[in-house]
Amino acid sequence: MLSITYTQDAHDALQSSVTPALVLGMEAQTKTRVVLLACGSFNPITNLHLRMFELARDHLEDTGQYRVVKGIISAVGDAYKKKGLIEACHRLEMARLSTENSDWITVDSWESSQPEWLETAKVVRHHYEELHTAEQYNDDVDTVKYAKKRRMQEDSFEGASEHKRRGNTHLMLLCGADVLESFGIPNLWKQEDIAEILGRYGLVCITRSGSDPYKFIHQSDMLWKYRKNIHVVHEWVTNEISATHVRRALRRGRSVRYLLPDSVVDYIQEHGLYTAESEQKNADVVLAPFQRYTSTSSS
Amino acid sequence: MAVHRVPLVLLACGSFNPITNQHMRLFELARDHMHSTGLYQVVGGIVSPVSDGYGKQGLVLAKHRIAMAKLALQTSDWVTVDEWESQQPDWTETVVTMRYHYGRILKEYEQSKGTHNHSNGNSTPLSSPAPQLKLLCGADFLDTFKIPGLWLDDHVEEVAGRFGLVCVSRGGLQPELAVHKSDTLSNHRQNIYLVREWVRNETSATEVRRALRRGLSVKYLIPDNVIDYIHQHNLYTEDSERRNKGMVLKPLAKQAQQPVKSLDD
Repeated sequence: MLSITYTQDAHDALQSSVTPALVLGMEAQTKTRVVLLACGSFNPITNLHLRMFELARDHLEDTGQYRVVKGIISAVGDAYKKKGLIEACHRLEMARLSTENSDWITVDSWESSQPEWLETAKVVRHHYEELHTAEQYNDDVDTVKYAKKRRMQEDSFEGASEHKRRGNTHLMLLCGADVLESFGIPNLWKQEDIAEILGRYGLVCITRSGSDPYKFIHQSDMLWKYRKNIHVVHEWVTNEISATHVRRALRRGRSVRYLLPDSVVDYIQEHGLYTAESEQKNADVVLAPFQRYTSTSSS
Repeated sequence: MAVHRVPLVLLACGSFNPITNQHMRLFELARDHMHSTGLYQVVGGIVSPVSDGYGKQGLVLAKHRIAMAKLALQTSDWVTVDEWESQQPDWTETVVTMRYHYGRILKEYEQSKGTHNHSNGNSTPLSSPAPQLKLLCGADFLDTFKIPGLWLDDHVEEVAGRFGLVCVSRGGLQPELAVHKSDTLSNHRQNIYLVREWVRNETSATEVRRALRRGLSVKYLIPDNVIDYIHQHNLYTEDSERRNKGMVLKPLAKQAQQPVKSLDD
């Protein structure tokens, strides 16, 4: 379980990392530990998804304030109903295969094993609780402090940022610029969820050249309010491998080698994934978040 | 059907300093495209790293560039690394490298045809058309043809006419324009295959070296075993980037020309 193994994983990540800043144990003591969480379809996972983790870790550690101890890939459940979304078991297995050679990125199946689609905020909340339960075991912190933590979590998010500073490890949501921009799409996100993600946890946003996240942050009052919790990472090398493109190439019998890890390419071939037929899955189904929010707002 | 297809070998010349996933992607894109013409059967790909005599800034030793390319292509069943060009004491014109490889390929073909005829007793002329060799290049390569004095006319004629080009572009009309602007290229346009890469992917070896010098991650841009090799041999440091700095490039010294490599970054 994540809650039991977490601390050992983090320790291992620290031990095996070659990043010079991490080797300096003394310095590391004063740094804030960060766990990066990426939520998405991973249909299928691509080298670009994995690259985002590397870019985010380099960026955060370069600030001198953070030590990234773990990355978590959380694939959305089948109930998300996205067109062409294949079964979670395959998506998870491909993610596992592709992280076999990483000493810090892991795959978590909790989100995809939920019977219904879950808001990203709930997924982040779950991982945050796992993380702090694990730390509490390890901390020999008394229950009073834990109860206090819990109480503070229920406070307003501004109040919670005080708590966040006290917490040993930060959890941040890792995403591409498109997710940041999706905050503006009506009925896709609940406003309080955006506030929770940005206010309580924080966001690491990888941008591609050509997009201007600062402008987007400036134009949104919500994003502006939490701008200090949004870490923008520039990807200087344009790299647009999208899972959509990969699926299209696969349907057409074109090569996807070097866009995905070899082990994932092999897995896709073995299981005959991503055909014209699989792309028609959920073709006429409304995406779960739209279903949920449009029905609540209209009723 | 397939027996009528022309066997094709794709050759990429460049620094490969170091080889990146994007270099290998170009081969995959080119092969898919050539197969889709229905005319060709791609039977091989050759990565030909330039020799140390090239004199380009930051160029690490050919033995390392060769070793990295071999590691990267361990899992490919059709692209291989050839050391001939890198072992030449001086910089070699692309057309000379092409002549060498084509000679080698033709010889192999003649030999296999010879043994085939011998064992069968009669020849089967339809079964194996003569193989071809084409130069695999990136989008900017075609533009180098129009730079005055850069290419000898008969070299352009030979590369485009006798051999042919497979050029992978990132969208835009740059390659079409380059062909249009050159009479020689236009004459041979049926021998110039333009492959469109719909996904922009600009991992360059220059960016990879920059990240390495700065201690940033290059994972998933180049294969893991290449990263291990780089660390083991401590390649791509500030020192290595200063190699050949201020030196006149061999091609410039030799022909008062700019260097021309099909996969330059």
